Amino acid sequence: MRVILKTRPRKKPHVPIEAEGIIPQNFLRKNDLSVYEGNRERHLEDLFFVTVEGPAVSPDQVEVILTGDTGRIKRVGEYMNAGRIIIEGDIGMHCGNFMSAGEIIVRGNADAWLGREMRGGRILCEGNAGDYCGAGYRGEKRGMRGGTVEVMGNAGDFVAEYLSGGEVIVHGDCGDLPGVEMRGGTLVIGGNCSRPCGNMTGGTCMVLGDPGELLPSFRRNGSTEAEFGGKKFRMAVFRGDVANRGKGTLLVREDLKSSRP
Amino acid sequence: MTQGILIKNAYVIDPLSGIRGEVMDIAIRDGRIVEEAPPGSQVIDAGGCLTLPGGIDSHSHVCGTKVNFGRYMSPEDMRAGRTSRKGVMHVTSGYSVPTTFGNSYRYSTMGYTTVLEGAMAPLEARHTHEEFTATPHQDMLANTLFDGNWSVMEAVRDKDVKRAAAIVAWTLAAVRGFAIKLTNPGGTEAWGWGKDVANIHDPVPHFEVTPAEIISTMIQANEILRLPHSVHLHCNNLGVPGNFRTTLETMDLAPPAQGNRQTLYLTHVQFHSYGGTTWRDISSKSEDIARSLNSKPQVVIDMGQIMFGRTTTMTADGPMEFKLYMLHHNKWSNHDVELETGSGIIPVYYSRKSLVNCVMWAIGLELALLAKNPWQCLLSTDNPNGAPFVKYPEIIALLMSRRMRENERKEIDPRTEHYVPLFALERELDWYDIAVMTRAGQAKALGITRIGKGFLSPGAQADVAIYPLKPDQLDPSVDYQQVMAGFSRTLYTIKRGRVVARDGDVVVEGANSTIWTRSRVPPGYDMGSDPEFTKKFDQYYTVRLRNYPVQDVYLPRGVCIETEAAL
Amino acid sequence: MRIEDVVCPFCGCLCDDLVVSVEGTKVLSVENGCTLATEKFTGDHRLAHPIRRTGGSWEKTTYDVAIRETAEILLDAERPLLYGWSGTFVEAQTIGVHLAELLGAVIDNTSTVCHGPSIMAIQEVGHPGCTLGQVKNRADVIVYWGANPIEAHPRHMSRYTTFADGFFVKSAFRDRKVIVVDIRETDSSEIADEFVKVTPGGDYAVLSALRMIVRGKGELVPEKVSGVTREQLFRVANICLSARFGAIFFGLGLTMSRGKYKNIRNAIELTEELNRHTKFTISPMRGHWNVYGSNEVFTWITGYPYAVDFSRGIAFYNPGETTSVDILRRKECDACLVVASDPGAHFPRACAGHLASIPTVQIDPHVNATTHLSRIQIPVAVTGIDAEGTAYRMDGVPIRTRQLFSTDYPDDVAVLGRIYSLVKEAKG
Ligand code: SF4
Ligand SMILES: [Zn+2]
Repeated sequence: MRVILKTRPRKKPHVPIEAEGIIPQNFLRKNDLSVYEGNRERHLEDLFFVTVEGPAVSPDQVEVILTGDTGRIKRVGEYMNAGRIIIEGDIGMHCGNFMSAGEIIVRGNADAWLGREMRGGRILCEGNAGDYCGAGYRGEKRGMRGGTVEVMGNAGDFVAEYLSGGEVIVHGDCGDLPGVEMRGGTLVIGGNCSRPCGNMTGGTCMVLGDPGELLPSFRRNGSTEAEFGGKKFRMAVFRGDVANRGKGTLLVREDLKSSRP
Repeated sequence: MTQGILIKNAYVIDPLSGIRGEVMDIAIRDGRIVEEAPPGSQVIDAGGCLTLPGGIDSHSHVCGTKVNFGRYMSPEDMRAGRTSRKGVMHVTSGYSVPTTFGNSYRYSTMGYTTVLEGAMAPLEARHTHEEFTATPHQDMLANTLFDGNWSVMEAVRDKDVKRAAAIVAWTLAAVRGFAIKLTNPGGTEAWGWGKDVANIHDPVPHFEVTPAEIISTMIQANEILRLPHSVHLHCNNLGVPGNFRTTLETMDLAPPAQGNRQTLYLTHVQFHSYGGTTWRDISSKSEDIARSLNSKPQVVIDMGQIMFGRTTTMTADGPMEFKLYMLHHNKWSNHDVELETGSGIIPVYYSRKSLVNCVMWAIGLELALLAKNPWQCLLSTDNPNGAPFVKYPEIIALLMSRRMRENERKEIDPRTEHYVPLFALERELDWYDIAVMTRAGQAKALGITRIGKGFLSPGAQADVAIYPLKPDQLDPSVDYQQVMAGFSRTLYTIKRGRVVARDGDVVVEGANSTIWTRSRVPPGYDMGSDPEFTKKFDQYYTVRLRNYPVQDVYLPRGVCIETEAAL
Repeated sequence: MRIEDVVCPFCGCLCDDLVVSVEGTKVLSVENGCTLATEKFTGDHRLAHPIRRTGGSWEKTTYDVAIRETAEILLDAERPLLYGWSGTFVEAQTIGVHLAELLGAVIDNTSTVCHGPSIMAIQEVGHPGCTLGQVKNRADVIVYWGANPIEAHPRHMSRYTTFADGFFVKSAFRDRKVIVVDIRETDSSEIADEFVKVTPGGDYAVLSALRMIVRGKGELVPEKVSGVTREQLFRVANICLSARFGAIFFGLGLTMSRGKYKNIRNAIELTEELNRHTKFTISPMRGHWNVYGSNEVFTWITGYPYAVDFSRGIAFYNPGETTSVDILRRKECDACLVVASDPGAHFPRACAGHLASIPTVQIDPHVNATTHLSRIQIPVAVTGIDAEGTAYRMDGVPIRTRQLFSTDYPDDVAVLGRIYSLVKEAKG
C-alpha cells in the first residue's frame, strides 16, 4: 500500500503541526487520523490531500509518502515499528521518536531531535539534520538505544547526546559537543566538529575531520587503523572522559589532531 | 451551605466509634455527620460497600521547597504521568512527584481527605502553604522541622526545656505549622559541614549536644505545650546497615504516655530496621523493632514500605541522601536551610533483582504484620520515598493476603528469604486493621479527632470514602486483586459533606483547610520579644524577623488548634 | 511615613531590609538599598491608562475594552504565547499558568534568556545548593564564575558573601577567600584573592580540568587550559579542597557562553566531586526579583519550570522547541501576551520583529521597548510598591513583598483574573 500525503496550503504556515499519528500501521485500517495544528485538532484530510494506492495486510507493506510543505510537521514516525516513510522534502522536529523498526527516508533536511530515543530501525536523512540528532529527552539518562541514523549532510549541536546504543553516522560536519554524555553505541563524524564527547562514559566516537580543540580530560591510548568511505585512516585513540570516570573511546585522525590544548 | 447527604446501606467500619463492620446509614448535614439527614438530601445507595472515614496520611511529602525541587529536576518523571484538563480537573504531570493537582486528585480518588506534609523548613513555610492551597481536595497539616534549629540546640545545651518549648511555640505559630518534626536530629546541622552524627550519643559539631538530648528535650517541650501530636521523628542513621540499634535506643527515649496518645511517633521505620554491617549482609531486624514496639504503647510508627519500581527519594536528611547518591550515581540535589535544617533529593529504582531492595520490601510488611496493635503501626510509604502513594492499595492487598506475598516471593531475589522472616508470617490483616492503619490510627496519633477527623459518628467531619468492595462477599486472602482495585478508586469520596470524587474522577473544585497549632504561652515566654532570640535572629538569618511569619492570606481556610502551654 | 523591612522588587537578592519613606503615593527616599533599588522605587515612567494601537497611532482606552480585546486575541490564536512573569508576584503567575492551560498556549518565563540552561543542567545532574544564610554563616571560600555581582546584584557581597559576617565567620573580609572566574577583569574581580581569566568559550574545559585535579587525575592536565595555567588550576583546586565550606555562584557568563547548559552541568559535577572531600554548594545568580517564583509556580502546577506547551492539552516541555526565543524565531506564535518583562529590550531582533507582526498585548506598569511592538498595553500596579504578593529569592526562600501605598491601578491578579474569566466563559 502506498499512502501519499500532500500538504494543503495553510493560512498560518508557520504554526507547527504535530502528527504522531503518521506511521505506517495506522493506515492499515482507516485514514481518519487526528493531527494537530497548534492547539487545534484537525482531521488528516484538513491538512493533507490523501491518496491511497493498493492494499496491505500488514504494516510492513505500507509506505507513507509525505510531500509539500512538510518542514513544520513534528513527530512523524513516532513509535513506528514497521513499514516505510519517505519524506520528499524537509521534516519538522522529532521525526522517528521512539522508533523501533522500519525505515524513514528524509530527502531534504530534518529539524532537531531526529530519531530521539530511537530503539531500532533506520533513518536516512539526505540533507542536513538539526541539533540533538539521535539524542534523548531532558532529564533521562539514556538517549537513543538502538537502530541507525545516517545523515548525508551536516548536523547541529549535541548530536547523539546520551547515546546508549545503535549508530549515528554524520557524513558532514557536526556542531559543538557531539557525543556529549555518550554512554554506549557508535558515533561516526565524517567531517569537522568541536569538543567531541565531553563527559562521555562509554561507547565509541570516531571523528574523520578536524575535531577542533580536544577537551583536556582525555587520555591518549595508542593508535589504530580505521576505515570510512572506502578510505583507511591512522587514528589516535583517546579514553575518557577522565573528569567523569569515563571509559569511552574517542578516535581522531593522527594527522589532524593538531590542537590538543 | 445547607447540604445534606444520606448514605444508605453502607458497610461501615469506624474503629474510633467502635464499629467493626455493620450495615447502616450515614447522615450528613452542613459538612458534619448528624443523626438525621435534612429533608431533600441527596441519597447515595452504598449497596453494602465498604464505607470508611476519609483516609488520612500521617506522613507524606507532597508540598514545599524540597518536593517542588523534586519536580523541577525531573522532567523524565513528569512525562511518566500526564493528563489533560478534564471537567473541573486541571492538567496533571508526574508519577513519583506529581504536580500538586496530580497529588490531590489521585489521593482524592483513593478516598484520602487529609494529608500531613512530612517536612517543612520554617524559613520556607510560605512555599509549603502556597502549595497547600493548590492541593485543594485534602485538608493539610505541616510537620515543622526543628532538627538543626540553632536556638533549640542552645536551649538543649543549657538544659532549658521551657525555653525550647517557647521557641517551638513561637515558630509553629509563626509558620503555621502543625507539629514538631525532627529529621536526623543534629545530623542536618553536622551536614552543614559535610558531616553526620554516628549515633544518638554523638555530639553535634560546635553545639555540643547529642541527638538523644535533642529528642528527649523536644518530647518534654511537646508535652509542655500540650500539642495535639507527639514529636514526629525520623531517626538518625536512616538506611544504614545495622541501624536497628539506633532505632531501639531511640524508642527507649519515649516516656510513658500521660493521656491516650503516644509520646513519640517514629516515621518510615522500615528504613531504620536494618541488621548487618554493610550492604552485603544487610538483614531484617523487624522482629527486634516490633518486640520493642509491642512493649511500648507510648510509641507509634509508620511503615515506610518500599515497593518495586522507580521513585524519587526526598528528605530533610541531607547527609543520608548524599550517601544514597554515592550508591546510585544518578542525580543529586541538596538544599541546606540556614539555622534550621537541610534536605536532599535523588531518584531511585527499587529492583526485584536487588537483594537489598527485596530485604527492604520485606521489612516494611513485617513491621505491620508483627505489630500486635494496628493503632501502633500505620500504613505509609513515606511517599514518595518508598513508593508513590498510589501503591497503597497494593500494600493493603499484600498485608491482607499471604497468597499474594507467596506469589511475590517467586518474583524477587531468591536469597531474600534467608535474610527476612516475612515468609514465615501467617498473619493476614483484616478490614478493621486496614481501617485503623489508614485513617483511625492516623487521626488518633495526630490528635485530630478533636476536630472531628477519622471517625463517622455524629459530630465528626463528613469525610467519607465508599469503596467498591463488599467485605461480606470477598475473601481478601484470595481475592487480593479485587482488594487492590477497590482501594485504588472509590465509588464516592465525600469531603466536608460534599461529593468530591466519583469513580475515579474529581467532580468539584476543591476548598481545603490547613490545620495548624498555636500554644498560648505566658508573655515572658514570647520569643517574638525575647532580646536574645531576636538579636540572634537579626544577626544570622538573611530574612528580617518581621518578614518571617506566614501571613494569614496564605491560609484562606486555616483551622487553628489552640492549646494552653504548661509554662 | 517611614516603612521598615521593605522588600526590594528588583534583583534576585530580594533584600528585605529596606527603609522607605513615602508621602501619599510618592516615594521620598530609600535607605539600605543599592542604587538599583533607589531607581526602582523612585523611577516614574508609568503609563497612566490602557492604550491601544489603531492604524499607526496610540489611543487611550478603558480597562474593560483592553481586557476584552486581549481575551479575544488569545481565544482566536492557534499558538498563543504567554511570556514574561518574572516581574510579578506568585499569585499572578498562578493565574497565568491556568490561563495557558485553558487556552492551549505556550507559557514561558524569562529563564529562557537567563538561567534556562542552569535548569536544564540541574535536570541532568541535580543541584547541591543551600540558602544564602548558610553561605553567610559558614563559607570560607566563595567562587563567582561568570558573574559580576557588584554590577548586577550590588548587595550580594555585603549581605551574603564577601563582606557579610556570619556565625562561624566572624570577620568575613579577613576569613574568606574569594575566587573570581571570568573572561575579563570586572569590578568584582578586582577584590578577588584569585582571579582566573578564561579565554571566551573555554569554561567547560577549565571545569573539566578542575574536576580531574580534584579526583586525583591532575597529572593529565596540560600546561594551559583555555588560557589558564596548570599552576593556577592546581592552586584554585587546592583552595577549594581546603575550604571548610565553599560556595560557587555563577552568572550569565557561564549560562550564555559556548556550551551553555553543559557548562553549568560541569560546574555542578565539580561541586559534587568537591563534596566527596569537603562541603561545597553551587547557586545560580538569578536576575529578576521573582523569576525564581515563576519557576516554582510553573513547576508545582505543570511539572516544569519554564517553556511549557499546553497545545496538546497535557503539559509538554522541551527547551529549544517550546522556549519563547525559539518559537518567535520560527515565527510560530500568532499572538502574544507579555506580562511583567520587556522582551522588546532583551530578545534578538528577529524575535522582536515577529512580536511586532502579530497581535501582542503587554501588561506592564511602564512604557518600555515592548510597548513599541504591542497593540495593547494595560498598566498595572507595581508589585512591592502599590501591590503586594509572594516572591522567591534566588535561593528559593519565599518572601512576601509589601505594599507601600495604594493607587487606582489594578494589580496583575485583577487584570489577569478578568482575562481568565472571559476566556473561561468563552470556552464553556
Ligand atoms: S541588591 Fe538587588 S534586591 Fe538588594 S537592594 Fe539592590 S537591587 Fe534590590
Ligand atoms: Zn518522610
